[in-house]
Parts: sequence; structure tokens; C-alpha cells
Amino acid sequence: MQTHKYDVVIVGAGGAGMRAALESSTRARTAVLTKLYPTRSHTGAAQGGMCAALANVEEDNWEWHTFDTVKGGDYLVDQDAAEVMCKEAIDAVVDLEKMGLPFNRTPAGRIDQRRFGGHTRNHGEAPVRRSCYAADRTGHMILQTLYQNCVKQDVEFFNEFYVLDLLMTPDADGVEVASGVVAYELATGEIHIFNAKAVILATGGFGKVFKTTSNAHTLTGDGMGVVWRKGLPLEDMEFFQFHPTGLAGLGILLSEAARGEGAILRNADGERFMERYAPTIKDLAPRDIVARSMANEVREGRGAGPHKDYVLLDLTHLPREQIDAKLPDITEFARTYLGVEPYTEPVPVYPTAHYAMGGVPTNIEAEVLRNNVDVVPGLYAAGEVACVSVHGSNRLGTNSLLDINVFGRRAGIAAAEYALKAELPELPADPQVMVEAMVSTLLTSTGAEKVNVIRTELQNTMDRNAQVFRTEESLAEAEAEIHALRARYADVAISDKGKRYNSDLLEAVELGFLLDLAEVLVISARNRKESRGGHAREDYLERDDVNYMKHTMAYRGADGEVNLDWKPVVVTRYQPMARKY
Amino acid sequence: MSEIQMSEDRSEERAGSEQRPATSGSRTYDAHFQVWRGDTEGGDLTDYTVEVNEGEVVLDIIHRLQATQAGDLACRWNCKAGKCGSCSAEINGRPRLMCMTRMSTFTEAETITVTPMRAFPVIKDLVTDVSFNYVKASEVPAFAPPAGVAPGDYRMAQVDVERSQEFRKCIECFLCQDTCHVVRDHEENKTAFAGPRFLMRVAELDMHPLDAADRQHQAQEEFGLGYCNITKCCTEVCPEHIKITDNALIPMKERVADRKYDPLVWLGSKIGRRER
Ligand SMILES: Cc1cc2nc3c(=O)[nH]c(=O)nc-3n(C[C@H](O)[C@H](O)[C@H](O)COP(=O)(O)OP(=O)(O)OC[C@H]3O[C@@H](n4cnc5c(N)ncnc54)[C@H](O)[C@@H]3O)c2cc1C
Ligand code: SF4
Ligand code: SF4
Ligand code: FES
Repeated sequence: MQTHKYDVVIVGAGGAGMRAALESSTRARTAVLTKLYPTRSHTGAAQGGMCAALANVEEDNWEWHTFDTVKGGDYLVDQDAAEVMCKEAIDAVVDLEKMGLPFNRTPAGRIDQRRFGGHTRNHGEAPVRRSCYAADRTGHMILQTLYQNCVKQDVEFFNEFYVLDLLMTPDADGVEVASGVVAYELATGEIHIFNAKAVILATGGFGKVFKTTSNAHTLTGDGMGVVWRKGLPLEDMEFFQFHPTGLAGLGILLSEAARGEGAILRNADGERFMERYAPTIKDLAPRDIVARSMANEVREGRGAGPHKDYVLLDLTHLPREQIDAKLPDITEFARTYLGVEPYTEPVPVYPTAHYAMGGVPTNIEAEVLRNNVDVVPGLYAAGEVACVSVHGSNRLGTNSLLDINVFGRRAGIAAAEYALKAELPELPADPQVMVEAMVSTLLTSTGAEKVNVIRTELQNTMDRNAQVFRTEESLAEAEAEIHALRARYADVAISDKGKRYNSDLLEAVELGFLLDLAEVLVISARNRKESRGGHAREDYLERDDVNYMKHTMAYRGADGEVNLDWKPVVVTRYQPMARKY
Repeated sequence: MSEIQMSEDRSEERAGSEQRPATSGSRTYDAHFQVWRGDTEGGDLTDYTVEVNEGEVVLDIIHRLQATQAGDLACRWNCKAGKCGSCSAEINGRPRLMCMTRMSTFTEAETITVTPMRAFPVIKDLVTDVSFNYVKASEVPAFAPPAGVAPGDYRMAQVDVERSQEFRKCIECFLCQDTCHVVRDHEENKTAFAGPRFLMRVAELDMHPLDAADRQHQAQEEFGLGYCNITKCCTEVCPEHIKITDNALIPMKERVADRKYDPLVWLGSKIGRRER
């Protein structure tokens, strides 16, 4: 076991973690711990773009952007946070450009902007061109740019280090403050203690609770899971965004850009069914609406394919040159994974679990909340792991790349400034015990259960019962199945007993986090008897502002049970209105 | 090489004729695999017979091995969509992404070998220590913002931006680094030669219309541009289809040559480009 001491420890090297590192490392001694090499982080998969009211191509302002964000989030957005994000968006884009990111240009040489779902001028009047983009690789180029600048600033990275526990120590007044993290080094199997004045969580989402997901293998919600096991709350976990166009059966994302370029969704009869659900904007309706319409077509027997379990994304009427120039990834995915030729055949698609709106509650300084008002000194969170909440119950496209830059930066500054004033907290006694016990239990277990079997069953029940349509019965069934799976998880055994690059072991640990988070998601969803944004209840079809215009706060009880509470929504300028497109 | 080329051509034909979505899962057969198992101490090819279903890629088969026969088989992967650059390996000796190699590119009778990238030290099984690349990455100075232009006032032409965007598609899979003969079997060249990925990175910065640093000297003197004899093997294996040799390395060589001949060319090119 090794012990390291830093001012600031950042967990995660995606967009949020590295943006934080750029700020924190110039002010305080900073280490970044990441289970993946930084440039393999999931931020790299984001294609669409990053919105900011630069007004480079047409009139726009941050206030309109704020309105769209609030409305898109079905009014569950904390409006103070949305204002901060939309105001600081402009500098966030300029900062990236200054770091060398090659955004696409207008003929006048300025940063070009394009339309994206839900972004409008003057409070919904007409679509506005607000998304800044770099070809179809915006997230990838952000990740690379941030990484290169971290290298320039000599940020210390600990790659393929898995953080499995958060350390907290009571201060003089008995308040628990963050004092570091415990990490497992994949290459060697060694346990490392990082003692720090401030900790920033930037571990991304947990899409792997679902079977059909656009999320990568490693998005197992570790940061949320670690915080949860410390008795700290998780906010709005029932709100998950399902992106309409995942490759059927696989979940790999086909960007919204396909429909932007004119691709059409059809059912088995070849009907353009979105005309029935959203007569004005049809295929370009917001994600939650399109995803539900697709699921409904399948449910009512109009699905395509041998099992009638998907719909079709039709690009065949588009010129090949346009497909090649604008949608190269889509054609490559369809050919490689489905053996489908998009020039001549429609592509099978189905909604895919995409983005966690909920997460670790923070305030606008990225400080983690221990309840509705108090913070945990020294603990920060930013990016998909956090819930500030700028996305409310449904995130607008392009607002996540923005979120990670704005709140990643804020977290980096706040954590470093806090660290400069704080003493290094003492470590709790035997800081490694929890992780050591977890690892040795798994290594020595002779149980009969297998990780991949339990994971598959979990993902199946989540897809079946907690996806785009939810009811009391379906959620109750999911809850019961998760409980049964948790019991079986106690008996899980792994076949790799070694120390060197033991991914078998880590997958078992990650499954533990997934089970915890799936349970919180389902129980929070059962408790919210309304439909809002990404959470659609068939037994409660309407949004209910009288009873549910408030955030869910989930806490882990003494026996591991889930206890629920509420937190008010911050409303500054916009009162809830019906959400029509 | 020609054999692999042939089976790839076959796959192109099939893509047009078979067209069965993975969701219908009809055909299944048993394939013969040889996977390299071992660690720093050494290792060997191990034989496996494993089920293959329609529409699968090599990474699916590796996962099936882990689930059914070889729970301790190590491999890196994350996105399973050819975007994170983790799952690089050599399939039948050719550097490829396991998640983007369709099983239908092989015949059912064929034995398929999967081995770790040869140019880097093995950690375990298919996992290699690629830190060499991160050392090289850290040696390339980042974008140098132009003096006298305020952030927000940057003006660039789309054509210039597109040039660096092509190189920016790189997912750092390091397959090009693995295949380049300058380092593939020549450990001794690693200090003097950064490899195609990082020479391309230098070229990208050099072609950035607003970058203020001198990249050409560095490319030649520190990163060993001169070692490259434009065989284009790197371009052939790049899963992002970046024309590394034609669009980055050769133009960079030309710029360096121009400049050797006349240092004023460099100055002129930078000033000229800034005016646009
Ligand atoms: C296919 C796809 C397309 C998208 N397109 C867009 C788009 O166009 N626009 C947009 O705004 N948003 C988009 N999104 C959403 C957006 O990309 C993500 O929400 C965002 O990138 C998350 O960034 P992050 O920094 O929070 O997390 P990530 O980039 O996921 O990074 C998480 C980091 O945490 C580390 N980590 C995790 N667990 C541990 C642990 N236990 N120990 C140590 N390290 C750990 C990982 O190694 C990684 O470095 C897209 C998402 C997907 C899946
Ligand atoms: S073209 Fe140059 S860099 Fe590429 S493989 Fe050949 S020698 Fe190496
Ligand atoms: S240039 Fe191509 S082959 Fe080389 S690392 Fe980048 S993506 Fe991989
Ligand atoms: S798993 Fe990401 S490139 Fe293959």
C-alpha cells in the first residue's frame, strides 16, 4: 500500500475532470486519478456540439438559452444554475478555442453555429443556430484539447487507477470533511491512499444499468456509488434520458444529426409515424417525445424486423454525397454492426439509454450537498456525475459538453481555493479497510454466481420495466428483481484471482455500484407519480406541478434501505408552462 | 497481407448481400481461435473453440471467451464503437481494433489469431503498456496562442480548419505506432522517433493557421521525421482512415525541406498564413 498527499485530487479525466484540473493545477498541487487513459473517456463520444449564445450567425443571447434549458428540462431545472451555465457558455467556448480547438468556421472566419433540438430564439419563436461544433467530433476534440493542455501544465495523472472509496474525517466541530480517496491500481493490484484537502468527483454517468445504452462499458456510476455508500444523498435519479436513435439491439448512438440532415423514422408499414405524434416538427421533436413515440409504435405492433421490436431510420432518399460528408460515422456503424447499407436500406433503431440527469447534488460552486442546504467541506462534483441541476428532468442536446466545461472549471477553482486555505485533514484510522475487504471478499469467494449473469439480468429488467414507459407494476417488478439480484450478488465469485490487470475483479466491483444505483433509480421513479421529461409514467400521464415540482433526494438508511425526501426547485424568472413543440 | 486483403474484399460483397440485423440472430457456428496468453514473463498462443453469431465482431468473441472459458483473459476496451481507441490488437498479424473487425471478414474454417500489439511491452494477455506514446505526447508542445490577438477575435478559414480536423479525428489507438517498421522491431529507435501519430500531431499544429510556435525544427530534430520513408503502412491500418502519410508526413517533409533550403520560407509562411 502506498500513501500520497495532494492539495486537490480529481477523480475522473473526462471533460469535467480535465477542465477542473486545468484550473486547479495552476493554483494547487493536483493529481488526477482515472480508471481509463484520459483520452479514452466517454466525453470523446459526443458528436453533436456545444451550445453558447455567441450570436456569430444570428441574433441570440444567454437569456434565451436559459429559457430553452429550463423549458427543455420540463421546469425541474434550478434556474440560478442554468443562468450561470448559459452566461459562462460564451467564455467556455472561447477558452477552448484559445487552447487550440479547431471549431468549424463561418465564411467570415468566426466560429460557426448550427441548429440543435430545443434551442430557439426569443422563447420558442423559431430554431436558432447556437451549437458550436468541430466536424462531427466535438466531444473528441474537446477531450484531446483539454488533455494536451493538461500535459502542457504538467498535471499529474494516475492512469488506470480505480477509485473505490471516499475518505471523510470529522473536523474540530465534528463536521465530516473530505480527506481523500482510496484507489486500486489495475496494472499491479496495489491499493493506494490519496490524502487530500479537496476531492473533485468527475466520474461521469451510469448508463450501464440498462442493456440498450449509448454509454461505454465503464460508465458504471462509481462516483455516485461511492458517495451513496457514505450516506450522502443522490438527487433526481429517476430522470434518465433515452436517445431515440440507438442501433437496434446494440444501443450504439446514431447522432441526432441524421434527422437534422433529413432522415425519417418509419414503422413496419413504411409510415412516417412522427407526423401523428408531433405534427409540426415531426422527426425533430425533443428526444423524450420521439423516444416514447417509437416505443409506442413497437408496443402497438407496428415495429419492424422479425420480432417487430424496432423502427427504421430511413436515409435512402438522401444523396450519397450528403451522407458521406455529413454522417460518415452513422454509415460505418450500420455497416459494421448490423451489416446494413444505409444508402439503400433503412437502419433498424430503438431508443437507447443515454444520459443521467440526476446524480450527486451540488450548488453552483460545485460543492457537494449533504442535505438540502449544507455542504460537505472539501468535496466537489462536476459533469454527468453531478446534479446542479441544469438539466432538470430532460437535458437539451449540446448542454452536457457545456455543463462539463462550465462546472468543471468552477469546481477546479473552488477546490483549489478551498485547499489553499485548509490544512491537510488527518486520515481516518485504517483508511484502506473497506476497499481491502471488498477486494479480498471477491478474490476468495467460492460462490456460485457470475458477474455477467447478474449484470445481464439487471440490465434486462431495467430495459423491460424502467425504460421509456414506467408503471407502478413495472417498477415494483424491477425493484423486486433488483433485491433478488443483490442477494445473489453476495454470492458472486470471479475466476481471475491474480493481481495483474484483473478486470474480472473490477467488473464485479462495478456491478455492485450498478445494483445500488438501479435500486435508487427505481425507488425514486416509483415515488414520482407524474410524467415529466425523461420520466414517463403510463399510470400518471400528466406533469403535476402541484405535488411534484420538486427534486427527489434519496438517502441510504442504516440497513441499506432507500429513504426519500424532497428539495425545492430554484425558480428565478420562468414559471412553469405547458411544454409544447 | 494479400490474404487478409482478400477476405476483406469478400466482406464488402457480403455487406451488400446478407444484410441481417444483429437483432435477428440467425446463423451460428463454432470458430477456431488462437489467443496469446501470458504476461511480462512470457506466454504462448492458446487454442479455443468458440461460438460465433451473425453480426458479431472479434471483441464479442473475446468477451464470450471471458464469460465461458477464460475468465482471467485480459483485454482493454470501453466504447465498442471504434471511438475510444482502447481495443487495439493484432488479428491474424494485422493491427486492428477488435470492436470494428467483423467476424464475417473471415471464413468459418479459418483459424483466427489474436495477439497483443507487438511494438509495446505486454502487461497481460492482450493488454500492452502503451506509456511510450504518452511520453511522446507530452513532448509535443501544445498549441501556442498568437500574440496580439485577443481570445474571441480569432479568425480562420474553414479550409484551414478542416486540414487540422482530419488529424484531430485520431482516437489514439496507436495501431499506426504499432505497425510502423521504424520502431516495430527496433526498440532502439524509440527515443529518436516519435512515430506517425505524433509526427502527425506536430504537422497538425504546424498547419494550424494561428499557431505561433516553430514546429518544423522540432519535427525534424526531436521527433525523427527523417526516419520515415513514407511506406504508408500507418495509413493502411488507421481505423479513422486518416491519410497520415499523404496529408501529414509528406507535406511536413516538404515544409522542412523548403526551410532547410531557405529559413525565410518558414517566416514567410507563418506571416502569410496569419493574414488570412
Ligand atoms: C454517444 C454519446 C454522444 C453524446 N453527444 C453529446 C453532444 O453532442 N453534446 C453534449 O453536450 N453531450 C453529449 N453527450 C453527453 C456527454 O458526452 C457526457 O455527458 C459528458 O461527456 C460527460 O463528461 P464527464 O466528464 O462528466 O464524464 P466522462 O467523460 O464519462 O468521464 C468520466 C471519467 O471518470 C473516470 N472514472 C469513472 N469511474 C472512475 C473510478 N471509479 N475511478 C477513477 N476514475 C473513474 C473515467 O476514467 C473517465 O475519465 C453524448 C454522450 C454519448 C454517450
Ligand atoms: S509512412 Fe512513415 S511513419 Fe508511416 S509507417 Fe511508413 S515509415 Fe512509419
Ligand atoms: S492516426 Fe489513426 S492509427 Fe494512428 S493512433 Fe490515430 S487513429 Fe490510431
Ligand atoms: S472498444 Fe473503443 S475502440 Fe474498440
